[in-house]
Amino acid sequence: MSVKIALAGNPNCGKTTLFNALTGSNQFVGNWPGVTVEKKEGKLKGHKDVVIMDLPGIYSLSPYTLEEVVARNYLIGERPDAIINIVDGTNIERNLYLSTQIMELGIPVIMAINMMDLLEKSGEKIDIAKLGKDLGCEVVEISALKGTGIKKAAEKAVALAQSKKSAEVVHSFDKKVEDAIDAVKVMLGSQVPEEQKRFFAIKLLERDDKIVEQLNTVPDVSNEIKALEDAFDDDTESIITNERYVYISSVVADSCKKNGAKKLTTSDKIDRIVTNRWLALPIFAVVMFIVYYVSVSTVGDWATTWANDGVFGDGWHLFGIKSLFIPSVPSIVEGALNAVGCADWLSGLILDGIVAGVGAVLGFVPQMLVLFIFLAFLESCGYMARVAFIMDRIFRKFGLSGKSFIPMLIGTGCGVPGVMASRTIENDRDRKMTIMTTTFIPCGAKLPIIALIAGALFNGAWWVAPSAYFVGIAAIICSGIILKKTKMFAGEPAPFVMELPAYHMPTVSNVLRSMWERAWSFIKKAGTIILLSTIILWFLMNFGWVDGNFGMLEAEQLNDSILATIGNVIAPIFAPLGWGDWKMAVAAVTGLIAKENVVGTFGILFGFAEVAEDGSEFWGQLANSLPAVAAYSFLVFNLLCAPCFAAMGAIKREMNNIKWFFFAIGYQCLLAYVVGLCIYQVGTLITAGTFGIGTVVAFVLIIGFIYLLFRPYKESNTLNVNVKSVAKAK
Amino acid sequence: MGTIIVGLILVLIVSLIIRSMVKDKKSGKSIQCGGSCSHCAGHCSAPCDTPSNRD
Repeated sequence: MSVKIALAGNPNCGKTTLFNALTGSNQFVGNWPGVTVEKKEGKLKGHKDVVIMDLPGIYSLSPYTLEEVVARNYLIGERPDAIINIVDGTNIERNLYLSTQIMELGIPVIMAINMMDLLEKSGEKIDIAKLGKDLGCEVVEISALKGTGIKKAAEKAVALAQSKKSAEVVHSFDKKVEDAIDAVKVMLGSQVPEEQKRFFAIKLLERDDKIVEQLNTVPDVSNEIKALEDAFDDDTESIITNERYVYISSVVADSCKKNGAKKLTTSDKIDRIVTNRWLALPIFAVVMFIVYYVSVSTVGDWATTWANDGVFGDGWHLFGIKSLFIPSVPSIVEGALNAVGCADWLSGLILDGIVAGVGAVLGFVPQMLVLFIFLAFLESCGYMARVAFIMDRIFRKFGLSGKSFIPMLIGTGCGVPGVMASRTIENDRDRKMTIMTTTFIPCGAKLPIIALIAGALFNGAWWVAPSAYFVGIAAIICSGIILKKTKMFAGEPAPFVMELPAYHMPTVSNVLRSMWERAWSFIKKAGTIILLSTIILWFLMNFGWVDGNFGMLEAEQLNDSILATIGNVIAPIFAPLGWGDWKMAVAAVTGLIAKENVVGTFGILFGFAEVAEDGSEFWGQLANSLPAVAAYSFLVFNLLCAPCFAAMGAIKREMNNIKWFFFAIGYQCLLAYVVGLCIYQVGTLITAGTFGIGTVVAFVLIIGFIYLLFRPYKESNTLNVNVKSVAKAK
Repeated sequence: MGTIIVGLILVLIVSLIIRSMVKDKKSGKSIQCGGSCSHCAGHCSAPCDTPSNRD
């Protein structure tokens, strides 16, 4: 029979790092609270019969947040054989609050004090033996990050689980509180096992609704509650919370030696600068500028040039040695197809369809790797948690809470988890607005579009890639202002409380693992959905009607293809945005399948496979087809418009309402269209002096946009409630 | 002959891709985001909470 061991502790105390170390798993680890919102399972290394469960970080076993409910339901309902309670040694008072509740569950507990290395650096000490005696459980020291002490902790937990020796509650509260608990324990009778009675009794006294649902017959504890509240002149939940902290204070005083003179830690010193009222925002802007500039225009560009011009272009020399020439992928495939005597149409499908489309997407992998390394570093070191704090101050002015930045932060990797992360926002209006705006932040899949436009149309200009990120931020802020002034979203933003974790240097393995996880998703997508899309696109592009006859087309008959027919129907919609060519319209639409598909479609339509001769043909053909202003309009439209189908599915799920889903998608497309149109029309007026009806429309839209941004909004003083529908709903 | 062999290989690859995508879909993984949900930072099994339940 397998042994189940749960990892429980406060947010950001190192549970997932310990879980990865114990199971050899590669769960996502971030240095901000709330990374794990669902329990994860893995097997202990070397013990196939020991299952380790990583629970979301929680501050208590009260059912206030989704994470607390998930963790509590597991601990009460499924009852693991043992719990490893991970405690952040640098924040012991706060962490012990949860520990006192875990001890009451009647499950064997071992406490693992994490971050002991940081504690020692600060000059503080914990007497492990005394702490264990005071708490009534075994205590071990670990460093999950460095892997020290974790094996010992796991072995002790396994032994404890096998012994089935439940934790002994050694703490006691004020006599009046203990009397009330004992009275409720008696009332519970045989419906609750003896070892769990204390936990259930306390929860009943605390008026915990969720615990009531788990009892067949709920005892009437109102007399006990009233007696306690009269005696302490407070509500029972506060009374018990206070009793816990009184007990924790006595434990800490007995077993912890604090550093008398409280000095500023390195994290505090860094925070004085990076979260400074005036410097925070410019520092954030510079950091993100460097991230996108280096990823797209410098290191990433060199690597992608090698991938596009070498691996998928003309071939390359290994280590630059002339005698070590490695042929390109298209030439290897072409050679193989010629050798077996493959028919031209099939060679065309493979070379001009699959290799050109998938190759165009894979060519951007190096740039993505660089971007993902930067993002992983910023997340792991703790800076991104500060950014949420910085953004709260700005977002709050525009009606959004800093909580909305967490989904956006996750959305820089992929919009799907970004949208899903919005469920941690309790306020319904804030959550809906966050869902609508999260995908404005460029996700990893949009990076190839950014890199392609920056490289092909702007000759690698330094400002293009970073501007894509800031356009996303601006779209979020402007949407926040505009939407908050409507009745649907009006109201004060939810308060944002977040613990800022200490900065630490991320481990190389953690950064590389995070980078690879994201990159692998991208590569896998290129090998599946993008590959299938390229096959369909190739067929649509190579078949069509000429003189009333349907058949395969010659290269010069591309404009008669099925794809061109479809594209020509859609293209006029985008003409005011400067890219009314059917090829561009088709590329934008195929981006709905997956955003990388935009680049894959370009690869097929502009003959990526024929780049080989000078390495610039593909870029040159694309550059000739549209001016720079139209290209930037195309980029912005693709950044802001409806995301891929996967993200749209996530929006539909999270909105849980079809009308809200269409409103969100409609808003995104409308905003993208308006911004794209204004960029092109005003851009052509400035660069070429072109003035027409489009320019007039653009100026009208700009005036309208400014009005929506700055119009005063007054909360309605009258309450409009449809009594009939409310009564019906009840 | 070469066309038939290459064609069959291509059909096999496409079949395997579709099979893996169907398998992923059935096991609750996302097809389009390409990731394994177990490694996703924002993953949460849907029944545990739907927005309408919370409000």
